[in-house]
Amino acid sequence: MEQASAYAIEVRELHKSFGDLEVLKGIDFTVAPGEVVCVIGPSGSGKSTLLRCVNRLEEPTSGSILIDGEDITDPDADVDGLRSRIGMVFQQFNLFPHLSVTRNLTLAQLRVRKRSKREAIEVAHANLERVGLSDKLDAYPAHLSGGQQQRVAIARALSMDPDMMMFDEPTSALDPELVGEVLGVMRLLATEGMTMMVVTHEMGFAKEVADRVVFMDDGIVVEESPPQQLLQDPRHERTRRFLQLVN
Amino acid sequence: MAMRGRQRERLFRAVMYVLFAAGFLAIVLVADWTLIRRNFFNVDLAREMFPDVLLIAARNTIVYTFLAFSFGLVFGLLLALMRLSTIKPYRWLATTYIEIFRGLPALLTIFLIGFGIPIAFQTRWHVLVNITLGLGIVAAAYMAETIRAGIEGVPKGQMEAARSLGMSKTQAMASVIIPQGFRLIIPPLTNELVLLIKDTSLLFVLGTTPATKELLKFGRDLLNTRANATPLIVVGVVYLMITIPLTQLVAVLERRNARAR
Repeated sequence: MEQASAYAIEVRELHKSFGDLEVLKGIDFTVAPGEVVCVIGPSGSGKSTLLRCVNRLEEPTSGSILIDGEDITDPDADVDGLRSRIGMVFQQFNLFPHLSVTRNLTLAQLRVRKRSKREAIEVAHANLERVGLSDKLDAYPAHLSGGQQQRVAIARALSMDPDMMMFDEPTSALDPELVGEVLGVMRLLATEGMTMMVVTHEMGFAKEVADRVVFMDDGIVVEESPPQQLLQDPRHERTRRFLQLVN
Repeated sequence: MAMRGRQRERLFRAVMYVLFAAGFLAIVLVADWTLIRRNFFNVDLAREMFPDVLLIAARNTIVYTFLAFSFGLVFGLLLALMRLSTIKPYRWLATTYIEIFRGLPALLTIFLIGFGIPIAFQTRWHVLVNITLGLGIVAAAYMAETIRAGIEGVPKGQMEAARSLGMSKTQAMASVIIPQGFRLIIPPLTNELVLLIKDTSLLFVLGTTPATKELLKFGRDLLNTRANATPLIVVGVVYLMITIPLTQLVAVLERRNARAR
């Protein structure tokens, strides 16, 4: 039943309103397998809403979203199964504060993936090593720095063996000196070939790591192109103005 | 000028101390200490009350509290989840229940369970069932609101994080939201426990045998047969020995919660 799709994420004519406020005004957006796409734009432009629609933390008002060719806006779609294949990293980390780092990483593996406890712990520890936190297995989130918490959150998402990762402003809540370690982990994932959609204000990261940068403003995609072009020679006046403000 | 102000302050404090000492002295001198000692602090009578006051009365008070609290907790959680349900009839039902039983005197509920239902249906439940329901039905209404506040106090991002990992709403509730919610409400729940301990004193209306008396009934019966208030003082002290450690515990937990945030 599953037709092969050229895209990991394919968004068509997506509209989203909160009450009278239309936040997304017809978005067409794609991410190819293995591609790293950074979404930039002023706050309120709808970029986080777009990302949250992709794993249905927000219900789209209209339009369609295909993940690996499967329409997830279908009422019969298996949303839980879908979400377990899409890793999500939040601005506020959202670690489970009542659980140790290892338990944070094993909980969904046990409940959703139905892995054995032993396997779940092995996967958890492997992913903590990947983000450089092998020494924090038994720590609780409150005892970690913001950067460490965000790396744990990335490891938690990776422990589900997702097909793609989505980042919602992953460094915006961090002190400046902690941003680098999180971006470092994300850079590593990108070089490993992970499909990534990143909403970010880190222009340096976008320029260096992204295959494509998408600029959104006021609920629409204004332009998209490879980072060098979009960040250095944008076609649209709105993009130019935004880049002047952030640089 | 500054000096004068401080002097006035010192004078005021001295006067207050003198007033206190004078009042205290007056009471000590005027009171009939022999009478008071015989009627409130009769050592022989107090000694007679042991060990029954602990082994029967205090034990019953604790058992009744435990039963009602357990029922209230489980049923209260159910009511809280109903109040938060997206299905309207469940919400209405829970809201109505909570409003009714928080608004009625606890004694009315106890009478209803102990006499109203047995008369209407010609049934008799075990006395422990009557006790559990009589107190637990009201306790559940209060605890439901506390638990709901706890669940709502867990940041929204926690549910989103759990759902984004593919967990169902029920799984997320059970392993992420409810455990955190309960942590937030341990202090108010402990207060609820203290209130319940005191409310067990209402259970005498269900009728008691010597083996089922709780603390207050135990003290009151001795007050009547011996025409002496000492038993009330003794059971009062036993109540305080149970409740004060609990309220102190609440204070400690609240301080710790405040620090954790």
